[in-house]
Amino acid sequence: MNIDMNKVTEILERNPKEPGAIIAVLQDFQREFRYLPVPAMVKASELLHVPLSKVYSIATFYNAFSLTPRGEKVIRICKGTACHIKGADKILEQIEAGLKLKPGETSADMKYTVEVVNCVGACAMAPVLIVNDKYHGKVRCDQAMGKVKRG
Amino acid sequence: MHIDTPKKLEQWRRDCRKRQDSLKKKILVCLGPGCLANGSDKILDEFKKVLKDKKAKDVSLEAVKKTGCHGFCAQGPMVVIEPGGIFYAKVKKSNVAEIIEKTLEKGEIIDKLLYSDPDNGHKYTDYKEIPFYRHQVRISLRNCGQIDPDNIEDYIARGGYAGLAKVLTDLRPKEVIETIKKSGLRGRGGGGFPTGRKWESCAQIEAPIRYVICNGDEGDPGAFMDRCIMEGDPHSVLEGMIICAYAVGSREGYIYVREEYPLAVINLQKAIETAREYGFLGEKILGSDLSFDIRISRGGGAFVCGESSALMKSVAGEVGEPRAKYIRSVQKGLHDQPTVLNNVETFATVPVIIDKGADWFVSIGTPKSTGTKAFSLAGKIRNTGLIEIPMGMTLREIIYNIGGGIPDGREFKAVQTGGPSGGCLPADKLDLPVDFDTLTKAGSMMGSGGMIIMDDRTCPVEVARYFLEFLVHESCGKCVPCREGLLQLYKYCTKITRGEATEADLALMERLSKTIVTASLCGLGQSGPNPFLSTVQYFRDEYLAHIRDRKCPGGVCRELIQYVINDKCTGCMACLSVCPVGAISGEKKKLHVIDQDKCDACGSCHDVCTFAAIDIK
Amino acid sequence: MAHITINGKVVKAHEGEMLLAVIKRLGIDVPALCNHEAIEPTGNCRLCMVEITRPEWEGWKKNVTSCLYPVEDGLIVNTHTPELLEIRKTLLDLQLARCPNSELIQKMAEEYGVHETSYIANVEGDNCIMCYACTRICEVLGKSAISAVMRGQKKVIAPPFGEEPVDCIGCLACAQICPTDVIPYEDKDGIRTIWKKKFELVTCKNCGKTIVTRDFADYLIEQRRIPHEYFETCDDCKRLELAKKMGGLITKAAEVAV
Repeated sequence: MNIDMNKVTEILERNPKEPGAIIAVLQDFQREFRYLPVPAMVKASELLHVPLSKVYSIATFYNAFSLTPRGEKVIRICKGTACHIKGADKILEQIEAGLKLKPGETSADMKYTVEVVNCVGACAMAPVLIVNDKYHGKVRCDQAMGKVKRG
Repeated sequence: MHIDTPKKLEQWRRDCRKRQDSLKKKILVCLGPGCLANGSDKILDEFKKVLKDKKAKDVSLEAVKKTGCHGFCAQGPMVVIEPGGIFYAKVKKSNVAEIIEKTLEKGEIIDKLLYSDPDNGHKYTDYKEIPFYRHQVRISLRNCGQIDPDNIEDYIARGGYAGLAKVLTDLRPKEVIETIKKSGLRGRGGGGFPTGRKWESCAQIEAPIRYVICNGDEGDPGAFMDRCIMEGDPHSVLEGMIICAYAVGSREGYIYVREEYPLAVINLQKAIETAREYGFLGEKILGSDLSFDIRISRGGGAFVCGESSALMKSVAGEVGEPRAKYIRSVQKGLHDQPTVLNNVETFATVPVIIDKGADWFVSIGTPKSTGTKAFSLAGKIRNTGLIEIPMGMTLREIIYNIGGGIPDGREFKAVQTGGPSGGCLPADKLDLPVDFDTLTKAGSMMGSGGMIIMDDRTCPVEVARYFLEFLVHESCGKCVPCREGLLQLYKYCTKITRGEATEADLALMERLSKTIVTASLCGLGQSGPNPFLSTVQYFRDEYLAHIRDRKCPGGVCRELIQYVINDKCTGCMACLSVCPVGAISGEKKKLHVIDQDKCDACGSCHDVCTFAAIDIK
Repeated sequence: MAHITINGKVVKAHEGEMLLAVIKRLGIDVPALCNHEAIEPTGNCRLCMVEITRPEWEGWKKNVTSCLYPVEDGLIVNTHTPELLEIRKTLLDLQLARCPNSELIQKMAEEYGVHETSYIANVEGDNCIMCYACTRICEVLGKSAISAVMRGQKKVIAPPFGEEPVDCIGCLACAQICPTDVIPYEDKDGIRTIWKKKFELVTCKNCGKTIVTRDFADYLIEQRRIPHEYFETCDDCKRLELAKKMGGLITKAAEVAV
């Protein structure tokens, strides 16, 4: 997949050129490209003087990063404790069955990515389903797919 | 505007208050996470739109304020009209015009929008009278839901930065530390370490540079207090950090905010910029010799980064693996320099202690756990939301008086506190007072303040399995007892939930837990077995029911239960369409049947059935 | 100099050195899997835990990893309490569940009476015990070509993106320091293969024996200022040459004496 290297340069320009800035740079890459493209990571490694192996460690250690492109709609199912005891698993099952995707997977047409998250801090309205940035609270399992398609 | 003396601050405060008073009415629209998800942003827009189109008497456009979380999330979206604290619950966009016309213009109360007590139908006008609020004492949450987080004048008008002005004019750094020590304030992140002592150790070490870090990682699933403070009252966090910087002699601070809280990052960033503009951050703060600035460090989404040494590694741009802490981070923290690390709620409490004095703070709470603690109430409880209570209140008072008890006529089974490091306490512990030491002694812990209530349709074994799964996923993987030990606990716990385990397995788990607790490198591993240990301590009979009888008393563990359709079924086909594995057959208006060979007991059918026609066996 | 008591015996030790070094010097059998003198300790394996106390602690004790705990004057150390033995046994039992095929782990577990793991064994796993010795030595050598990636149970030691590690110079330090011999490499026909990357080997101009990889030699010449003649002959031939020179000198000296 081709990426716009100008964007990579732009992100590297606006961050401090020091090893400590690597996580912030990767976060900016993630936001821009919705994943971490290898050429971007290589460039960051060179410019910030962080060994490529360490960039890779960071990219795989933190939940915020993904190494493969995400789909247009990112569907996140909260698996926090409150959501769990209020049936988050059932919501996930509806979505897995509806989209034929497991958590972490993206559909071949790049339309959907399904992810589970630990807790989004919206526990009062558990179970929570997030479609891109839109929060859906108190989701019943029969409503889950509708929210995915619409929201 | 640049405020360069404490005197000018007081002058400005008077101006701010005058401006606030000139607004005869205020409309506070909650944009906390709960209300927002129910569309409160649209309600806010509607208020603005309607007020722009029509000139309402005594109501200006500035009267409409967006606020952070007001706390009573179960009743959202909520709107509060001041003066009078008129509390409208579950407001819809279509109610806005009516609220303006009746309540704001004519001063009439709209009965149908008031909160009504589900037990006796009593309706409350002033929110402060509602049981949910009446039993609370709000210190760290003092401004949440009351101010517009983007408007520094709101914060100033409510006494903001008065604590800072006081330390800069009246107190030497040592006296600030003494005040905090005397207040008995203990870290609100869960550990409960005395804050004053931490500051003192840091200040005592000779070093060219010292750091102040605010832990806004809030990784415990089921906790959202810090999120609400960062989003709803960011200046209180900054003020606490600046006071700390003055006390310990720091020039540089960081707020570590978790990736999942984008709004917190935005609001904190805005607050930092505003604080710089007005002279609360930067060089020569309020004209004093204090120079201090704060940067935001966005977390990468790893639970282990709530651990102090891992957090500091993450701030420094490294993988968040903890290191052994035989040298404490107060001495050797960020970049190996002395570092004070406190959490959001702790910092937000500091300015009030300075302002009102240590004695005032000590008068609240218990002798060893002074002051208040914020909790997020969630799970199987009527009044989900954000609360703050004086230390020493019993679990029963919290769950029943504030939380309104268990919904749907079910029974209380357990309350989980302390997140994955904490434990589950059963009904006979409900009269325990909530303070740091009592909860630890009972096998749970205060934690950062997540409180999840479980009813009789919850399985403690399955809850333990859930937390172990979480920890296996979130362990950094560096040390053996945590990485391998928790994995084994998880595997055995899964065996129990499937009815495949033996009593010997249970004994092995208990023995293994001891080694994990003593041999793990950091707090994550050391406390990792707690969810298992506390459930096996208090719900051993349920563990044995899974093992000996292959039964799940809570009706949760899929391998041990069956869903069966009874003759109340009307043939509405709701369950049939929701079944993810196609195990239900039947025609319209005819009794449906579940094919037990296909059914994987997810319970979706049970959730959607409105006729109580599906039994769990 | 500090005085500490280990298992009832007062011994001298350097203030600040790690307890494990003192324990090893005394020949006390405390196992450790992730410790190596060439690299900074990290405390991954937890086997070297010991119990410490001080007179002023009034009976309070704690268990610490001796590889990371610096010597302090007056420290009282116990290396073989029943609790420590249970910890070591459990840890080795867990390692055996992770690496049931590792001979080293089998042997060490055996010494603690564990003949087969009490836990659910990972039959598909390799013998990596995740001690980080390889990544730490690679970092010490200034390359950091490989690292620990992922988190928790999924953690593995790998080169970036699982591809040939760009920074690797084929020095073999990782493979040689690995306590469970889990990093494969091959020297064949003048080529070394490690981490799927191929390296040209420098051979001795006299005997043809392998010395180092060309990349490693270049790295040492450029970064560590080692003269390039050093890599022309192998250690054995260097010794031989030296012996010849020395022999010549002795002969000459004898001639002079006569």
